[in-house]
Amino acid sequence: MHDNVHMGYDLQPDADRAAMLDAIGVATVEDLFSAIPKAIRLDRELALPGPLSEWALEREFRQRAARNATTRTHLSFLGGGAYDHYIPAAVDAIANRGEFLTAYTPYQPEMSQGLLQVLHDFQKLMSKVLGLPAVNCSVYDGATAMAEMAWMACVIRNKRTVAVARSILPDYRAVLDTYLAGRGVAIVDVASDPSSGTIDPNALELALSAGDCAALIVQSPNRFGVLESLGELCAAAHRHDALANVSVNPLLAGIARTAGAAGADIVCAEAQPLGIPLNAGGPYLGAVATRSEYRGFLPGRIVGEVMDLKGEPALALVHEEREQHVSRDRATSHICSNQALLALRVVLHLSLLGEQGLRRVATLNATKAHAFVDALCTLPGVSRAHIGPYFNESLLRLPCNAVAVLKALENEGIFGGIDGGRLDPSLGDCVLVAVTEMHSKQDMDRAKSAYARAIANALETEAA
Amino acid sequence: MTKTQSIYSLHRAGVSGTGIVDPDFPIDALNTAAWMPEGEARLGDLGLPEVSEIDVIRHFTRQSHESHGVDTGSYPLGSCTMKYNPKRNDRMAQLDGFRYAHPLQPPATLQGLWDTFADLQDALAEITGMDAFTLQPAAGAHGEFTGLLTIQRYFADRGEDRRTILIPDSAHGTNPASAAMVGFQCRLIPTTSRGLLDMETFRSLLGPDTAGLMLTNPSTLGLFEEQIEEIAAAVHDAGALLYYDGANLNALMGIVRPGDMGFDVIHVNTHKTLSTPHGGGGPGSGPCGVKSFLAPYLPAPHIRRDAAGKAFPDWDAPHSVGKVKSFYGHVEVLLRAWAYIRTLGGSGLRYATETAVLNANYLKARLADLLPPLFEQHCMHECLLSGGSLSVDAADFVKRLIDFGIHPPTLVGAGCVHFGPDYRTAMLIEPTETESKAALDLMIDSFRKVANEAAVAPFMIETAPHTTPVAKIVKDESAWLSVLETSDGSVS
Ligand SMILES: Cc1ncc(COP(=O)(O)O)c(C=O)c1O
Repeated sequence: MHDNVHMGYDLQPDADRAAMLDAIGVATVEDLFSAIPKAIRLDRELALPGPLSEWALEREFRQRAARNATTRTHLSFLGGGAYDHYIPAAVDAIANRGEFLTAYTPYQPEMSQGLLQVLHDFQKLMSKVLGLPAVNCSVYDGATAMAEMAWMACVIRNKRTVAVARSILPDYRAVLDTYLAGRGVAIVDVASDPSSGTIDPNALELALSAGDCAALIVQSPNRFGVLESLGELCAAAHRHDALANVSVNPLLAGIARTAGAAGADIVCAEAQPLGIPLNAGGPYLGAVATRSEYRGFLPGRIVGEVMDLKGEPALALVHEEREQHVSRDRATSHICSNQALLALRVVLHLSLLGEQGLRRVATLNATKAHAFVDALCTLPGVSRAHIGPYFNESLLRLPCNAVAVLKALENEGIFGGIDGGRLDPSLGDCVLVAVTEMHSKQDMDRAKSAYARAIANALETEAA
Repeated sequence: MTKTQSIYSLHRAGVSGTGIVDPDFPIDALNTAAWMPEGEARLGDLGLPEVSEIDVIRHFTRQSHESHGVDTGSYPLGSCTMKYNPKRNDRMAQLDGFRYAHPLQPPATLQGLWDTFADLQDALAEITGMDAFTLQPAAGAHGEFTGLLTIQRYFADRGEDRRTILIPDSAHGTNPASAAMVGFQCRLIPTTSRGLLDMETFRSLLGPDTAGLMLTNPSTLGLFEEQIEEIAAAVHDAGALLYYDGANLNALMGIVRPGDMGFDVIHVNTHKTLSTPHGGGGPGSGPCGVKSFLAPYLPAPHIRRDAAGKAFPDWDAPHSVGKVKSFYGHVEVLLRAWAYIRTLGGSGLRYATETAVLNANYLKARLADLLPPLFEQHCMHECLLSGGSLSVDAADFVKRLIDFGIHPPTLVGAGCVHFGPDYRTAMLIEPTETESKAALDLMIDSFRKVANEAAVAPFMIETAPHTTPVAKIVKDESAWLSVLETSDGSVS
């Protein structure tokens, strides 16, 4: 008999277990495992701590949680692919509902119309935000979305080379390398112009005309926070018979024309800014969209309208022939479990914001970021590292090494930004600063004076 | 009963579900055109709905009522391990100290995260008998991809050109799909009439070109692969490696460990075995474990402990296969898995496994007259039963279960498993350990009621379900147009 009073689901009293064993026709539970050779069995209990009561568990978790600083204990200007936006309580209230939380993929559409409707609305809303009609129910995150879409372009174009902007986020590039290596896809680098921070048009021409590229892969805002001229980039890709694959921050659609409207053939996005908590890096959500003509190449689940027996419209997972459980080794992607619960969060967030709300929150992000960047640039020796336009994040050049400044700010309870050295070894005197709607005027004033002090101290130390 | 409605049905121009104001930064006075590149500002509307908060809440609460989760009722969907997801784990995973942590904070400010990662890695290693783990993969398929990459890199480092992965025909679709993504060729191994790997074909396919064999044990047919020692020896003798698809680990915790069976690489689906919620399709998490000789190849960063036992992310991983996703993994999911392991401890995990196997065998025994098992031996945590002797089609039969509040078991074309033509009428039933005997008896009763009804009123079965907001769905797969574009031409 096990002492499982702690676990909260010791469901079978001894009498029930005895009756069940009886029905099966064995004497002990042990007998059910007779197929497992003795030689390989574990002859001891698993060496794990516990069990724990619920309160002891909570105490331990709280202790651990307290050993993390957060964007709540610190004033944070961290971005670089994950942003601290406000998430309305209403998002959590619905996303934590057990009916959604504990469901699986809606394989049985008749009993899952609610979930299917959520996912269908996700496709619909994201098609607006990304600007292309065909959307799936999500892939793992923004980086794997870019990688999956790179391969999709290769399949569509039947080519095995892609041109990739050097300015995509470092993690995205790392994931792209990992994903494409196995597929035998070559990557041609496209450099940025060091002054504007946008893609160098000459480098672009060279890359596209040299390689027989399936796609041009760019990100906007890019790793420096700079907005690319998407219209021109997409046109260049098309001139060279390549698809334009664009990765975006979906929040930017609040004020900017969508990537689809700018001419992209395939758009992908990290949807974390739309209602997904930072969670120390995940789970987030990779959103993808493409033109109708390429929808048959999309990875993952797609919800569509079908009919029921009475001829009434209903929703179901459709066109599963694209997917791994049907196509197996010929599928374009292996994705099975995805980010459905995060898709629900995105639907909730966009529903609450609505047309005007998205515009307002995007505007506020841009305004506050520009105000803060302008303020920092009044400090001696501080300037923007690039002259290209930006949204809510920008790379600033400091008159000294960034690491020391960031450390000093941290000592004052401020995460001042991301060390430019993470983006490029030559940018060790830069910081990438992100601002969201949540930063107040007071936050900015406080950070500005802390920056002033930290820079002065760093300069003094460097001089000594 | 109403058909579900899109959120767009609640749109009222000018309504807002959230207030976005900051007196210090008046929005109306702003001129984005001043900094936007020419032509990039959006002039028209995007086309998002405008809905009040109360309408959003009521709408999605209603939709939740038209969804079925483990919290709603039984969910014996084979291969998916739809066990109860303890609420305490949700609370732990959403503590501020994790929820609001930014992944790019200085590593020293995330000590609670690294310590938890290291502890979870250690616990997974103990449960599975492996030496090292990465928590980066986002799901089972992603864990497969990661594990296969380590195999590929290992052989590349040894200068061996091995390009084939062997896979049983009953394997989950992600196995061959992941292998193809890594660049391997797949060869299929048939299943014997006893539901086990066909050793003869397996041996004939094994050769100098074989990089590995991917195996789910117990298999997706719910059976323990008894010849596992022989299989492992043969794979290793051929110089290849053995991959464990951990989707069915719920059958083995504390009983036998993949590492002790001879597996070199494995993934664990935390959303199955470790009770993290399936979220309507995700997010899951697919930690990948390896024997020590493969540890250097795991994705960077490696989470290690220093001499003082303090965990930290080590980016110095020159042999790593690289990164498989941004940042470090599905933290919120992994925290739940850790909370689950902490709560149960070693004895509790074994008890969970024993109960899962007990429950599956109980169902199998009690349903045997109605749905004869395809295989005679004891099943593990799930049983494969034949619907072949029913008077109606098995696919119709299970739809009627919906009216009894039971999610149908896995069938060909309904669920995530791939069955060959021999199993066209087979149902893979996985009750999990968190169903009580009373719940199982109710399930059994429901199966019987449906079977009785099938004999007298087959029409009731063929047109089921009858209690759902929509009737039985007829998929017309030619209708791409209806999928993504509405008839008025606007994007839907
Ligand atoms: C046997 C088996 N292998 C692999 C997978 C893939 O796991 P995931 O959905 O987490 O990618 C599943 C589940 O869907 C499975 O049942």
